[in-house]
Amino acid sequence: MSSAAADTKNTVAAIGEKYKYGFVTDIEMEKAPKGLSEDTVRFVSAKKGEPQWMLDWRLGAFRRWGEMKEPNWARVHYPKIDYQNAYYYAAPKNTPLKQSLDEVDPKLLETYKKLGIPLNEQMALAGVAVDAVFDSVSVATTFKDKLNEVGVIFCPISEAIRDYPDLVKQYLGTVVPVTDNFFATLNAAVFTDGTFVYVPKGVRCPMELSTYFRINASETGQFERTLIIADEGSYVSYLEGCTAPKRDENQLHAAVVELVALEGAEIKYSTVQNWYPGDENGLGGIYNFVTKRGDCRGDRSKISWTQVETGSAITWKYPSCILRGDGSVGEFYSIAIANHYQQADTGTKMIHLGKNTRSRIISKGISAGKAQNTYRGQVSVYGKAEDARNFTQCDSLLIGGDCGAHTVPYIESRNPTARIEHEATTSKIADDQLFYCLQRGLGQEEAVALIVNGFCKEVLQQLPMEFAVEAQKLVGISLEGSVG
Amino acid sequence: MSNSSALALPVARREQAASHYRAMGVPHRRVEEWKYSDLARALGEEGFSDGTACWHIGPLPAGVEIFDLAEPNAPEWVRKHLGSLKESVMSAASLAYAQGGVALHVTKVAAGPLALEFSGAGHVRALIVMDAGASLTLQENLAGCDRRNIGVEIVLGEKAQLHHVRIAPVAAGAVQVEEVAMTLAAGAGYHSHYASFGAKLSRLELDIALEGEGAEANLSGVSVLGEDNHADITTRISHAVGLTHSTQLFKKVAGGNSRAIYQGKVSVEKGANGSDSRQTAKALLLSRQAEADLKPELEIFADDVKCAHGAAVGDLDADSLFYLRARGIPETDARALLIHAFLEDAMTGIANADLREQVRGAVNDALGRVSA
Repeated sequence: MSSAAADTKNTVAAIGEKYKYGFVTDIEMEKAPKGLSEDTVRFVSAKKGEPQWMLDWRLGAFRRWGEMKEPNWARVHYPKIDYQNAYYYAAPKNTPLKQSLDEVDPKLLETYKKLGIPLNEQMALAGVAVDAVFDSVSVATTFKDKLNEVGVIFCPISEAIRDYPDLVKQYLGTVVPVTDNFFATLNAAVFTDGTFVYVPKGVRCPMELSTYFRINASETGQFERTLIIADEGSYVSYLEGCTAPKRDENQLHAAVVELVALEGAEIKYSTVQNWYPGDENGLGGIYNFVTKRGDCRGDRSKISWTQVETGSAITWKYPSCILRGDGSVGEFYSIAIANHYQQADTGTKMIHLGKNTRSRIISKGISAGKAQNTYRGQVSVYGKAEDARNFTQCDSLLIGGDCGAHTVPYIESRNPTARIEHEATTSKIADDQLFYCLQRGLGQEEAVALIVNGFCKEVLQQLPMEFAVEAQKLVGISLEGSVG
Repeated sequence: MSNSSALALPVARREQAASHYRAMGVPHRRVEEWKYSDLARALGEEGFSDGTACWHIGPLPAGVEIFDLAEPNAPEWVRKHLGSLKESVMSAASLAYAQGGVALHVTKVAAGPLALEFSGAGHVRALIVMDAGASLTLQENLAGCDRRNIGVEIVLGEKAQLHHVRIAPVAAGAVQVEEVAMTLAAGAGYHSHYASFGAKLSRLELDIALEGEGAEANLSGVSVLGEDNHADITTRISHAVGLTHSTQLFKKVAGGNSRAIYQGKVSVEKGANGSDSRQTAKALLLSRQAEADLKPELEIFADDVKCAHGAAVGDLDADSLFYLRARGIPETDARALLIHAFLEDAMTGIANADLREQVRGAVNDALGRVSA
């Protein structure tokens, strides 16, 4: 056994020791050895207590990853990532909890206040030690009971691998194959946790599911894996992320989300992403390389993506729909805001395979400061997609003369009965609009927030209520310092 | 004399172009800009055959000078501009390997359309230099069914106006590439129409730089394709300074096994405020095996601009069809009428009435063939 492997084995054993004493949530776990090797993969898998098939799956992914090249076609520029100079199992963090809110970065608190987040939640988000955060356990338990009643499975994916191996085996990697792309393959090798949802036949999930309410969800880690399966005739709405900014030590994030909608099922997936975008000078910030894809496998199924992307230094993300079932529907509603030195390259793919499939894309990109914002999308209609229909609208708004807004749509049709329409515009905030608002006593930044919210309205309307209110405020906050 | 000095260019410049071409290789579908036109595959092992590519020119109107690029002692205007504009892979190839070509110098407002025809196989070059205030209507025709790569450079001085109508008749089995690089000074205008009827692989690629205030480019084109023909129009328009305008309107009808492609990229450089750009591409598929690929792209680095694009692929509008049929017009006639109307939109902009009629005639012939 190599020394690294021995090292890994010892570490795993050591963690096992600690578990014996029942410390589940609060222990400061050791990190996996720095760097990425088969041993790291084995460590992560062992740490999660995974069965052999899962380890084999991960190792297969890792081997393929070694042969793959990092993609460079997106319009984002960042220093080369040294994959060997990073920790792949870093959560939970070793950082000591703060004693009171006084120790928290005042800028962060200021933002919380503007978003209207209750004090207790502020503490939880900023990592302050409190006795009872906000009774998350009882909230979660109530949720669990309700979900159990209707048979919805909603748990961390590591639990699902243990408790529902057949479901996981049947669906994991079937929407985003292990070797789909560089970042997805990396994720397959080292994903640390994520969410698993299964909604049984004919069940309408009684509540919006959100990572926010999942136990142990606070540390989802940098390589998150989400798998949502909506069985025949079911419905589920899933909220990911949170409007509140969180500081995260991990610079590289590579998540994978897979959605499967069977006959007549509907999945609504909403994301608000507000990770650290770096400072005003472009220093720091999260690199967010996400692969999200939904498969409308059954007839008349529907998958709807809604995203509000305001954070991260680099966003590389294309939530897509494969419209396989006849009459299936795909939707993509997106707001991407890039300020300062942020770079966002985001969009969607709608792959029409079945008859009478329909898709709708509404994308609103806002660039300010020195940011670059790209919409990159593809609508493909294949030969058998009789009467397929797509409508795409992507609008860009530029604030200031130093930023960029780009649109790269691919439109491909192989069926004469299909109709595809694409429209795009680029504009700035009109002087007369701004003047009108200022004249009525609004401040410059309030006015910009108001106008931008108007620009984004079509997408904001798609968000679940509780998200929509915060997202509107977030739009304003993200653009602070961009005018004047 | 060796090939490398046959074109009015220093040997070193040709070698530079050759090494550019060698470094990039023949474009294939893994090269993003050639995704829909796999040139390497269409050419196969043989590549572009050598040497017979040539040009023919009609009677020269007053105010147009001509120079044969295969001749020695090129005048100053040729030496200054030949090989000076932006070089794509395939234009590097023609720069490196062309054994001849034509250069035109327009010094004033020239009367009547000037006809220029390319035929034969291999690489050939053309250079058009227009002085300030000059104007010309150029009719470009392609002939024959060969493997040909044309490299064109167009330099428009201040307020120069070039009207360009290009007709590429159907050339089954041919591989035809044409790369056009162009620069426009202040107030200059380029007004063009490209009628393409397909080949085994046909690609017209334009790289247009609007480098002076008030410069404008108005592009339009129709494609009518049938059988297993392919026609690709790829444009790049760069608004390098402010107050520049561009419009693009492309209409495509694809039947049989054909493939119609439009890729258009509009870039607005930093500070190019007041730029105005409009881009429309529409395709109509007439058969189950036909394919249309559209990629209208925007790249914008300035905030005070108006840029819009639209693209659509589909069938004829059912309501319009119903309206005509309700008035007793048989379905086939009604369809033909609507297809004509669809294409007519992109042809009305051709300023010269004779050329407009020629394009219409070519379109009618092609429609007869394709929709039959």
